[in-house]
Amino acid sequence: MIVEAGQLALTFAFALSLLLAIIPLYGSFVANQRMLLLAKPLALGQFLFCLLAMLALIYAFRTNDFTVVNVAQNSSSTLPWYYQITASFGSHEGSMLLWVLMLAGWTALVAQFSKALPLLLLGRILGILGVICVGFIAFSLFMSNPFERSLPFFPVEGRDLNPLLQDFGMIMHPPTLYMGYVGFAVAFAFAIAALMGGRFDSVWARWVRPWALAAWLFLTLGIMLGSWWAYNELGWGGWWFWDPVENASFMPWLAGTALIHSLAVTEKRGTFKSWTVLLALAAFALSLVGAFLVRSGVLVSVHSFATDPGRGMYLLVFLLLMVGGSLLLYGMRMNSVRSQARYQLFSREMMLWGNNIFLLTACLIVFLGTLFPLFHKELGLGSISIGEPFFNQMFYYLTIPFALMLGLGPWVRWKQQQFTPLVKPLGLVFVAALILALGVLASMQSVQANLALLGMLLGAWVGVSALAEVMLRMRQFGSVTQGLTKLNASHYGMTLAHIGFAVLVIGVAMTKTYTEERDVRMQEGDTATLAGYQFTLVDVYDLDGANYGGQAAELDVRKDGRYVTHLHAEKRFYRIQRTIMTEAAVHARLSRDLYVSLGEELPGNAWALRIQVKPFVRWIWLGGLLMSLGALLALADKRYRRKMPPATKQEVANA
Amino acid sequence: MRKLFFYVPLVLFLALTVFLLSGLFSDPRERESASLNKALPEFALADLMQPQQIWTPQQLHGETFLLNVWGTWCPTCNAELGYLTELRKQGIKIVGLYYELPRDPAFDAPFNLKVLQQDVAQKLQQNGDPYQFNILDLERRLSLDLGVSGAPETFLIDSNGIVRAHHIGDINPQIWRAKLAPLYQQWSQP
Repeated sequence: MIVEAGQLALTFAFALSLLLAIIPLYGSFVANQRMLLLAKPLALGQFLFCLLAMLALIYAFRTNDFTVVNVAQNSSSTLPWYYQITASFGSHEGSMLLWVLMLAGWTALVAQFSKALPLLLLGRILGILGVICVGFIAFSLFMSNPFERSLPFFPVEGRDLNPLLQDFGMIMHPPTLYMGYVGFAVAFAFAIAALMGGRFDSVWARWVRPWALAAWLFLTLGIMLGSWWAYNELGWGGWWFWDPVENASFMPWLAGTALIHSLAVTEKRGTFKSWTVLLALAAFALSLVGAFLVRSGVLVSVHSFATDPGRGMYLLVFLLLMVGGSLLLYGMRMNSVRSQARYQLFSREMMLWGNNIFLLTACLIVFLGTLFPLFHKELGLGSISIGEPFFNQMFYYLTIPFALMLGLGPWVRWKQQQFTPLVKPLGLVFVAALILALGVLASMQSVQANLALLGMLLGAWVGVSALAEVMLRMRQFGSVTQGLTKLNASHYGMTLAHIGFAVLVIGVAMTKTYTEERDVRMQEGDTATLAGYQFTLVDVYDLDGANYGGQAAELDVRKDGRYVTHLHAEKRFYRIQRTIMTEAAVHARLSRDLYVSLGEELPGNAWALRIQVKPFVRWIWLGGLLMSLGALLALADKRYRRKMPPATKQEVANA
Repeated sequence: MRKLFFYVPLVLFLALTVFLLSGLFSDPRERESASLNKALPEFALADLMQPQQIWTPQQLHGETFLLNVWGTWCPTCNAELGYLTELRKQGIKIVGLYYELPRDPAFDAPFNLKVLQQDVAQKLQQNGDPYQFNILDLERRLSLDLGVSGAPETFLIDSNGIVRAHHIGDINPQIWRAKLAPLYQQWSQP
């Protein structure tokens, strides 16, 4: 009954999205205020019904309603309750509904929090979001219905959730990631609405910025959580695999990062307009391309959902209409937009332009690396695969100039910067960074040059420079305490995010260089030594979880005889899916992770174990977290909540 | 000129969709095998049931045969055993390349041959035994050299030991008739 109600709710949501896609947009062209005013209630109603549909699906999972195909295939009665809830978005159908819910949620948020926007513009934005909603709700409803029943024949027990997805990281990862993906729809809608009106100015940029930042915040967090999940759950201690699906989330992130920087120029200096609009379109377009790649089966990946050309065809047509249509509009409208601002070669404008170039190059590399096998095959040249070495090498070369520029960028003024005043402070920053890098490397067990030194140096350069810059700005306001309150939140946000990037670079370089790994055969009482740590196998005991059994190894870890920790590495056997899962034991500290995974049982009461010591691996996720926090801080900036001066309001209303 | 410049993204995007469209209708699992039209890679591997018997490519020359990659852990492989047995009755020579999945060579774990032999014998008794013999590829070197991406996969090897076809997925009557039988006919001509 509840399931049918969910189906009905989704149908209502579809009807409302159709109205939202038609009425306000039509109203904006015939200047009908009542039609425009309908946008907000329609958006809110649409969200409400999507929410009801999602709740109905969760209800079906919680009540073990195996007459629903989706529940029978992705859940079981022995699954713990919290995984029963997350199983509701563990499948293609369920995750599509979550996607729809997020999209409706963003639409409702725009409707609710855009009092300052002129009615005409708001109507158009919500209308365009409505068009996107129509596409995705219809897809969920007609092409991948999560409520489908298998009556009259249904199983008495479900097939259980894929054990890989039974992890805390998996509870958090998809919703945050989808929030990010879908969030760029808002910036996309703002860009289309502006293209329709034909005017972009700093006011428009100021309206888009918080939405782009919010989407970027979630996407950053989502990618970081995904990486953290892979590290804990896949059992070999990797944190990024350049898998097509990971790349699908990384591309909108790169475009989104370029977008939030380009928006800064458009807001402050009223230029870079064509860039900014293109990036706003690209960020969401890449999200859509990603969705297509993951769900159509064009690329084979560990993440991809079941392949179905029908679904792929639908998504491709949708992609063609949305992205093709928006790029056509872009081509038609953009040539009439002029930027008047002038700036010199050494100016913040140029620095941010460089930022965009690097980020888009990175995006292009990921794009080509991901799709090249497809191009190659479709051109009849046979199958090839592009692996980690290609991406790693490319990103190695890109990161060096990017990080060097990032350390310099925030110091440079708008319009024009003299070179000489920067020599002294930046020289000091460089010396400090060098000392810091060498100091950290000297404290490591072995000094290895190349990657670690370079990474440390670049990281320290970006980090120290960001800190020094914010200190210097504070001093300009008189005392530090005065400056602390004078600088606006978005400046702190930027600083924090840049420090996050520095931390990330250090983490990657140090982990890559200093990770030590050993595969050992151990009996109870045996000790293995790695990187100064003594791992002693104390006990192997049987596990008895709700839906799994298996064994766990208890290890006692000491360093120079002093107790460090106890680790419990598990090898789980999920009974229903009949899969073995390695649940690695991790002891995390800022300076290093101890990572133990349990292998097979060997003859003679012995076990195979893989032991890793991974210095600085936490820094990778810490960096991501700092970047997200930076975005949050920037979002808190007061100027996004200021009322528009009446004149500007009028100006845009005429647009 | 400047006007056309803004249409560049659209053109690039449309080019992309052409590829995506064609990608949609081609089977992502179907790919050219790197080992095609080359001699079998060198190997010296033990027989699964009689480990003292060592097989090398030279011993396999002289007759066209199918090399079937399989394992008891693989449900599709078990399902195709029946049809392969029928093919054997029709006089087609099939050699098994046993791919031991539960054992990860990277962990270097020893394994119990007796248990595996019993397991295999039981499966073959249940579903039919299509194999002349089985080669045990414990280190997966031969599978790797052949470009095996999973199981089941089947290679058609001609009498000179040259790989003539690489089929990914199970063999059923349709696949056999449409794809492999003609190739078998072609390469088994003296």
